[in-house]
Amino acid sequence: MTRISLTVNGKRYERDVAENRTLLRFLREDLGLIGTKEGCGAGECGACTVLFDGLTVNSCMVLAVEADGRAVETIEGEAKDGKLSDLQEAFQKHHAVQCGFCTPGMIMSTRELLHRTPKPTVAEIKEGIEGNFCRCTGYQQIVEAVLDVSGQLEKKGELRHA
Amino acid sequence: MLENQDPATLKYVGKGALRAEGVEKMTGQAVYASDMVMPGMLYAQVKKSPHARAKILGIDVSKAEALPGVRAVLVGSELDYRLGLYVVDKDILAKGEVRHYGEAVAAVAADTLEIAKAAVDLIEVKYEVLPPILNHMDALKKDAPLVHPDLGTYDFVKAAFTPVPGTNIANLTKLRKGDVEKGFAESEWIIEREYTNPSVQHVPMETHVAIVQWKTGDDVTIWTSAQSPFTVRSLFCYAFKLPLNKVRVVIPHVGGGFGGKAGIHIEPLVACLSRKAGGAPVKFQATREEEFSLLPCRSALTYRIKTGVRSDGKIVAQKMSMYWDAGAYADYAVNVTRASGYSGAGPYEIPNAWLDAYTIYTNKPYGTAYRGFGHVEFFWGLERHMELVAQAIGMDSLEFRRKNALRPGSVTLTGEVISENSGNVLKCINEAAASIGYGSLSADEKAREKETGRKIGKGIAALHKAPAMPPFTATAVIIRMNSDGTVLVNLALTEIGQGSVTAYSQIVAERLKFRLDQVKVTVEKDTDRDPYDWQTVASKGIILTGNACILACDDLLKGAYETAGQILRAQSCDLDHDDTRVFVRHHPEQGVTFASIAVGYAYPDGNAIGGPLIGVGRYVAQGLSNLDKETGQGYPALDWTYGAHGIVVEVDPATGEFRILKIASIFDVGKAINPDLVRGQCIGGMVQGLGTAVCEGYIYDQEGHLLNPSFTDNKIPTSKDIPDEIDCAVVETPQLDGPYGARGVGEHPMISVAPALGNAIQHAVGAELLHMPIRAEDVWRAMRNSGPIDNWITKTPSGSCRSDPAARRHDPDHAITP
Amino acid sequence: MLHGFRYAAPRSRSELLDLLAEHGDHAKVLAGGTDLLVNIRGGNMKPGLVIDVKRVEGYGGLAWDPAEGLSLLPAATINDVLRDKRVRANFPLLAVCAQDLASYQIRNRATVIGNVVNASPCSDMAPALLCLGARAEIASARGSRSVLFSEFFTGVKKTVLAKDEILERIVVPASAAGTKGEYRKLKRINGHDLGIVGVAIARKNGSLRIAVSSAAPTPVLVAGLPGTASVDEAVAAVLAAVSPISDVRCTKEYRLFMIETFVRRLMEEMK
Ligand SMILES: Cc1cc2nc3c(=O)[nH]c(=O)nc-3n(C[C@H](O)[C@H](O)[C@H](O)COP(=O)(O)OP(=O)(O)OC[C@H]3O[C@@H](n4cnc5c(N)ncnc54)[C@H](O)[C@@H]3O)c2cc1C
Ligand code: FES
Ligand code: FES
Repeated sequence: MTRISLTVNGKRYERDVAENRTLLRFLREDLGLIGTKEGCGAGECGACTVLFDGLTVNSCMVLAVEADGRAVETIEGEAKDGKLSDLQEAFQKHHAVQCGFCTPGMIMSTRELLHRTPKPTVAEIKEGIEGNFCRCTGYQQIVEAVLDVSGQLEKKGELRHA
Repeated sequence: MLENQDPATLKYVGKGALRAEGVEKMTGQAVYASDMVMPGMLYAQVKKSPHARAKILGIDVSKAEALPGVRAVLVGSELDYRLGLYVVDKDILAKGEVRHYGEAVAAVAADTLEIAKAAVDLIEVKYEVLPPILNHMDALKKDAPLVHPDLGTYDFVKAAFTPVPGTNIANLTKLRKGDVEKGFAESEWIIEREYTNPSVQHVPMETHVAIVQWKTGDDVTIWTSAQSPFTVRSLFCYAFKLPLNKVRVVIPHVGGGFGGKAGIHIEPLVACLSRKAGGAPVKFQATREEEFSLLPCRSALTYRIKTGVRSDGKIVAQKMSMYWDAGAYADYAVNVTRASGYSGAGPYEIPNAWLDAYTIYTNKPYGTAYRGFGHVEFFWGLERHMELVAQAIGMDSLEFRRKNALRPGSVTLTGEVISENSGNVLKCINEAAASIGYGSLSADEKAREKETGRKIGKGIAALHKAPAMPPFTATAVIIRMNSDGTVLVNLALTEIGQGSVTAYSQIVAERLKFRLDQVKVTVEKDTDRDPYDWQTVASKGIILTGNACILACDDLLKGAYETAGQILRAQSCDLDHDDTRVFVRHHPEQGVTFASIAVGYAYPDGNAIGGPLIGVGRYVAQGLSNLDKETGQGYPALDWTYGAHGIVVEVDPATGEFRILKIASIFDVGKAINPDLVRGQCIGGMVQGLGTAVCEGYIYDQEGHLLNPSFTDNKIPTSKDIPDEIDCAVVETPQLDGPYGARGVGEHPMISVAPALGNAIQHAVGAELLHMPIRAEDVWRAMRNSGPIDNWITKTPSGSCRSDPAARRHDPDHAITP
Repeated sequence: MLHGFRYAAPRSRSELLDLLAEHGDHAKVLAGGTDLLVNIRGGNMKPGLVIDVKRVEGYGGLAWDPAEGLSLLPAATINDVLRDKRVRANFPLLAVCAQDLASYQIRNRATVIGNVVNASPCSDMAPALLCLGARAEIASARGSRSVLFSEFFTGVKKTVLAKDEILERIVVPASAAGTKGEYRKLKRINGHDLGIVGVAIARKNGSLRIAVSSAAPTPVLVAGLPGTASVDEAVAAVLAAVSPISDVRCTKEYRLFMIETFVRRLMEEMK
């Protein structure tokens, strides 16, 4: 066990953790922040994406002990004062969520993308979320949500009635 | 139950309501089974077979049992329960012999995951490795070893299935219509080909997970990521011989299912661990690797089609042989075989048809339901075949499809007559063609070809599917009114991402004339609380549960009118209502609020009438029948949803690499209850279909070890893999017995994406593709007319294992004319 | 779930070297962890001690010295490389290869040094480093040494590093600045994927260097071609140097074909 101290969503935590505990399990099992999901445990799927000192990481590929003294942000910090963030609103509006299992990680990735590129092109959006698998939506509505929240969507994606 | 309502007066149906449970999911607050922790909960791990086929000589669990923190260790010999949806062929833990790589042979429950894992590593299993039967075509041979020597003693559903004892055939479905030999005799051309595809994984982002507590007195509670609560309950009770009221199944949010969670899987094992551990709740969650081989996959298929065409391009005869690779257990695969059997000719009229569909046991992870239920697989062959036949007879393939498409008056393979209201496949085909500018390249496309040196091709593929379900499939909905006039809707069709909660909310709000925010459809399913539903499968939810919602609304209103009528001294026929009141139609000022009658109306003196308002809606599929076992004739289809995809692809003529520039997907959904949700299904399913089409598939070595059980070597589409342009459209030919005219579309978007792509690639560079997935290397090989690599069983890891044409020539049963 | 180990995060170089000297035989260095943790999870590695190098003073990021060149330090991530203007200006090939490695969030953690020490045949950074004539500065309590990347890889997942050694610094020589380079990677999907084959070509002052990944037990360098070499000569030299196999990702024949195609196309494009 090693004692670590870190902030998660701006709140301070001090905990003893086993050296082999991943940040993902630490967040979910020790802090009860279950919004961050595990889809593979191997860095491939992005369901476990959180911000680590402001940058996205696969939390299944980070040891909790490495987070000592760091700032972690998770999906639980995205909505503020009981209100969805603009990004979450856009996901809801564009049906960018189906089963919802990829959604927390997807939102963390798009959140950081918008930090570094406030007006990403479609190619940049796709590049920004390529590490986040979504088996349900086919990604298109996620791309539309990100375009919308960055003020670039020309026309809402719609089902055509032939 | 088409409600002949002027679309202009519809307030919610046909409109894009927001996802009802979206906020919960967006904030990370939605709780999935994988997130759940119960007081005193233990963690399970499973010991898995490293062999495809082996005799279990002995299992030594003594070291595992001695490990502190271990609460239960289980091996197969302790358990005498057998499972199976249709053929009861699977032990909870392997007994005597392991039948596939990754099969569970022992299991542990312990205080922590770490201890459970350590304990499993301490279990020693002695095997005698046996030669596995891996290729399902080999498994049909007369001298093939039997995967289930005791097949003849197993229970099975006799109305629908025909296992053949003494063989590896878990089921044989036959279909006979007209006289094929006569049809071939009339044919100008006869074209025969074989098409293949490997097993694939569903890849729900949440792997299978279950928590089970087997309490003293045999009260069992199961919290699971399953799709179908009542199926888990009934199969569980069947296996353990428990009354249904002893077992409660609870399903919270589910992180994707796609058919892989349709049946019962890990729940019984976890239950046995809980029982052995003295009744503590036990949790098991599959790792991603386990999801590939401990849990089931989608069956591989070899599809042979022989088609006779008259000189005018009309198909007159078609002989079809489907060989489905069930893997080690029959699970859903036998029903996939049945459902594919009766729709195996696609949305085309074939006057003389003959089809045999085999489900074949092999020593591989077993197949189960997967979005499309066989149709994704056989439409690969069928729609590639339509293309190749058209090419062979010198006809444009679109014209050929149009010529043979089902239209009102056409008779299906099983003898059903298509009507004006069955849906319009021709329109779907035409719309897909128009959307991609089928048949020629635009000026821009020509310029692009010139600039890049790559070739652009356009392809079309049509599709259809009916729900694969028993003819008597039923469901029920209960609506309860709260004392403030809001309503709570209970139904057991599970929300697995498809948006059912939202769609049913819209139907209920529409029918009740309530506001959407007055309606809550519960997300969590609970067999102790919710009324029966058969399964969350088959794209049957919108019709069956949708209709039951309407009936439940009517029932609720009937009760409300009864109470209100007494208070208002009016007959029901003179009453009307809005979202807050029931009132007299010709004296609207005379009314009572729903709130005042919701749980019984009290007069000022305290006298009361009525009582809580509850509406019950029950719906059972109408007019369907079992199919004749010899001829396959009968009525299997609740509805047919038709569709078509058109693809524009750009191919590098040297390397075979390709890029999808556009896809158009068109479905006749009858009525899009929520266009945004329908679009979500269309795009999501289409991209899942693309995964099947371009990169997914199980790869085995000669010993039957699965070589790619993870995302490292089983890729799925990412955001960078979707087509550059996506056009999604619906045709709305109302389904007379569908709610507001709607029919299901959950599975269909995945079907026929692969052949549309294959056809487009063929148009671009002439590559004749017979095997999917279509990897760049496959295109490259096809362009050079060299045999495809395939994913079945590899000699060197990438040799070929297609049914060997040379071997087949010596085997008259499986002869194929080259 | 990861098997148990102890964890150390030394703050100084000497502390690190001492730890390695003492525990090297059962310790593993942790940089971004994107290979190490995958290996521990899969049971391929069971270190008793994991030594995190990211907190060692002076081990962060990239450094630039006009005389010596570019230094990539143990904590320098792939995205650090991509964000660095000096890299893009002087060694565009490094950025091109980095851009093709894994997904964005993996690149936030994955280090260049971890990538080469992992020594996978499909390493995406190795082709760039080989083409640019980079060298590895290796240190241990016993002393330091410097090894060219052309000598660094010794087999599948094997390098010249001894168990007590640390790769302290990669130096991309100033003499290679301004090298024109391109990288082409064949993948199974457009999204992040390990390379099926990868070909990098670098040209500077009449010299031509070609490196190939996923084509042999180690990344392969074909050096010593004259800048005037014809396309056919380049192809012949590359094909003589590679020995691809068939595996679950691809067959040998297609690998050979694609290596040749990439070499031809890059040679044409970079004329
Ligand atoms: C999902 C996923 C996708 C990937 N895709 C790609 C890809 O497309 N291309 C590609 O090339 N790679 C890929 N990788 C592999 C990996 O990300 C890279 O190799 C990465 O650069 C490794 O760096 P790291 O810092 O994470 O290494 P670590 O995992 O920290 O270390 C790797 C190895 O190097 C050793 N090591 C690290 N630093 C030192 C040092 N300073 N001295 C001595 N030994 C050291 C470690 O002990 C370990 O054995 C992928 C990995 C994942 C999980
Ligand atoms: S769970 Fe971390 S990347 Fe899949
Ligand atoms: S919404 Fe289900 S995985 Fe993305």
